[in-house]
Amino acid sequence: MSGPLAVIGVGQSVQAKRREVTIGALVREAVDEALADAGLGFADIDAVVLSKTPDLFDGVMNPELYLADAMGAVGLPVTRVFTGGSVGGHAAIFGAHLVAAGLARRVLVVAYSKESEGNFTWALSRGLPFSSHLGAGAGGHFAPVIREYIRRSRAPEHIGWKVAVNHRHNAARNPYAHIRRADLTIDEVRQSPMLWDPIRYLESCPSSDGSCAIVVTGAELARRSPRPPAWIHGMAWRTETGHFAGRDEVNPRAGRDCAADAYRQAGITDPAREIDVAELYIPYSWYEPMWLENTGLAGEHDGWRLVDADRTAFGGDLPVNPSGGVLSGNPTGATGLLRFAEAALQVRGLAGEHQVPGARRAVGHAMGGASQFHALWVVGSEAPA
Amino acid sequence: MREVAVVSFAQSPCVPADREHDMAEIVLPVIRQALDACGLTRDDIDFFASGSHDFYEGRTFSYIESLDAVGAWPPISESHVEMDAAWAFAEAWAWLQLGEGKTALVYGIGRSSLAADLDQILPAQLDPYLLAPLRPHRDALAGLQAAALVDAGLTSERQLAEIVSRRRTVSTDELLAAPYVASPLRAHDVAPPGDAAAVIVLAAGDTARRLTDRPAWVRGLDHRIETHYPGVRDLTRSASTSMAAARAAELAGFSAADVDVAELHTEYSYQEPLLVAALGLKNARVNPSGGPLAGRPATATGLIRIGEAARRIMDGTAERALAHATNGPALQHNLVCLLAGEPR
Amino acid sequence: MTLPEPVDTMASPLRMDYTYVAGAGRSVFLRGLAERRLLARQCPGCSRVYAPAPEFCSRCLRPVGPPFELPGHGEVSTFCVVSFPFPGQVYEPPYVVAQIRLDGADTRLMHLVREVAPERVRIGLRVEPVWVGDDELDTSTTSIRYFRPMEPADA
Repeated sequence: MSGPLAVIGVGQSVQAKRREVTIGALVREAVDEALADAGLGFADIDAVVLSKTPDLFDGVMNPELYLADAMGAVGLPVTRVFTGGSVGGHAAIFGAHLVAAGLARRVLVVAYSKESEGNFTWALSRGLPFSSHLGAGAGGHFAPVIREYIRRSRAPEHIGWKVAVNHRHNAARNPYAHIRRADLTIDEVRQSPMLWDPIRYLESCPSSDGSCAIVVTGAELARRSPRPPAWIHGMAWRTETGHFAGRDEVNPRAGRDCAADAYRQAGITDPAREIDVAELYIPYSWYEPMWLENTGLAGEHDGWRLVDADRTAFGGDLPVNPSGGVLSGNPTGATGLLRFAEAALQVRGLAGEHQVPGARRAVGHAMGGASQFHALWVVGSEAPA
Repeated sequence: MREVAVVSFAQSPCVPADREHDMAEIVLPVIRQALDACGLTRDDIDFFASGSHDFYEGRTFSYIESLDAVGAWPPISESHVEMDAAWAFAEAWAWLQLGEGKTALVYGIGRSSLAADLDQILPAQLDPYLLAPLRPHRDALAGLQAAALVDAGLTSERQLAEIVSRRRTVSTDELLAAPYVASPLRAHDVAPPGDAAAVIVLAAGDTARRLTDRPAWVRGLDHRIETHYPGVRDLTRSASTSMAAARAAELAGFSAADVDVAELHTEYSYQEPLLVAALGLKNARVNPSGGPLAGRPATATGLIRIGEAARRIMDGTAERALAHATNGPALQHNLVCLLAGEPR
Repeated sequence: MTLPEPVDTMASPLRMDYTYVAGAGRSVFLRGLAERRLLARQCPGCSRVYAPAPEFCSRCLRPVGPPFELPGHGEVSTFCVVSFPFPGQVYEPPYVVAQIRLDGADTRLMHLVREVAPERVRIGLRVEPVWVGDDELDTSTTSIRYFRPMEPADA
């Protein structure tokens, strides 16, 4: 990177079924909030990057075309990225690249999903010709992987329930979250309907509408911005092919390589100790211990022990998803960017009620496909040395 | 800006419909050809970027299948745009500016033939509340723009027929006798959809010089989008193309007026005079490859324009070239790339 | 004059028809299924056996070798139990969807496991395919109705 980069504005919409607004209006909520946070107007933005998951989710093809006006992008370069569920993370990193390359001074990265316009489970479960319509959907893909993690790590069955409770309690401190359950108990999670054994209903993400936007810029303009910047200390993405024999989907190498690259850039040698808070892409509760291990925040097969010892709860020494995370709101096109943005809010001290006290360095993480696409950044309160 | 050049370009023949190969099977031989041409293997590539779109492929997450042709193992640095692959080229060029790597491979696949009827697909590109419900057929907005040009005296039906007959053994009069599909456009004014894949390899500085005798240096690249609503735009001009061309020229140190060859992403014949005017082309040969009127493989079409323009530099027939790519109906979003045989 | 009620929702149904191209590699496997044969192919580069097989190995990028028939039985590598209804669902929940590693192959095939109570399915369960009758055979994984435990005692 040619000089430090920073996030100087974050905006998001409330995540919920948003039947009362158009897609454009939903996007505009986040865009307006991010610009206001950064103290900027549309004329200050040089480029826009749009993140969105499959167009089949809402039936709008090439949404950058329809949304050019809502994003304030008329007259600017616009790129719409898509890399599975990690797209929000990829978009944030690409936005930062444009600044680093000298092609833009301030980039607006926008992400959204309005899945209430279509049917998300149907879109993911559509059978293809010549094959049985097993219709397992997203969870049906991830549940067998979780089962394999449990077997390898010998984790006790309550770990998933505990994560679900932690995240939903955290969401109660986040006014933007979709599902906010300060009263949720382990028992209620345990007794909720089984969806794809071993994943229960209350251990799964909702399907949400929502949008998120951030403004990324270079050091000079970041120092002039009205509110504290979140400095980017390291960022990386990695992709691995999905279909070869011997692929480890439980602890994919692409995820490990991605995190290692970002930590190396950030000068981090002991992530578990040097990272204060992590916003990880956890769509099903068991992915918390799995991603803690994959991103180097816990040793192999030990991720579940951090959960069990309450270290990843809001008051613990490594809080995970203080925003409530994906379990509390999953507008898929925005979810990755939300993790990156929430990490930024934490180190800026602007996370309001869900602020982790003293958070100086945070991880934002996103995953896509069948754990093939990984993106991660490390942000900090101080500019990197 | 860091010196970055095209060192290799390969494409599969644009066929009306490939019913034999899946996405990876179409892309793999083209990747192999592009790498062989500059003596690289896939392990030498530092970044991969691609462009394709689910609504042409008919499946969600369709691009993931194309990664099987890339050999993403060990894990790679990679990104994808759900757009014409010309925008993946733009991303790869930007990535090479960072200095983190020396080579990038861009691939695009476009299969227009899988959709049974593009009239079902293309209205989904429009405002879902105000425009898409009108279900304009695939050429309707182009027809409106062509009509605006004719009404303003900026082109004529005869001129459109001349553009088409230049590449065909059919007379202008015969072409003018054909019925309209979206007046004033006739079937021959519409670039025929097809299936193809294209690959470009980019390299920086001395690496580019080592990999090929005559790299096509990317001297400038920019893209701009206009307002979505056709009723608000001046359809007789392409403001975004002019803006992108001006910004690319600032980076390049020369402008469209100086190029010998221009490959334009003309989805319809009428877009040629419109773009020539918007770009300010002077003595350029337009679409020596035949252009999209010789075959339009959806999301590979714009990338092929860049590849064809680069090819003219690499084979020595041009000193400076321009490539244009477009996204969306009636030229809403446009990309301009300026290439030259010499770096700046 | 009173204004009409504002429109707050509208239906804008989209229908899109596509041709699906199985591809050269997948077609070999599908044609085998129409003959009740589970065909595998081996990569000459890394020696891994794929079933179903693509036309070329996605690691080595080399064309895989000619098809050969597997005995058909295998084991459950991992699985889940689909327990809830959703639009377009064909089978009534609860049902088991498993990743099955056929004996002789290094990759896994996804399919149903039936003739066993879901709670008795486990990783490592030995299974065999149950083929459909002649009138239902097709170039499709539906030629296998499901997999079932090889040992009746496992059911």
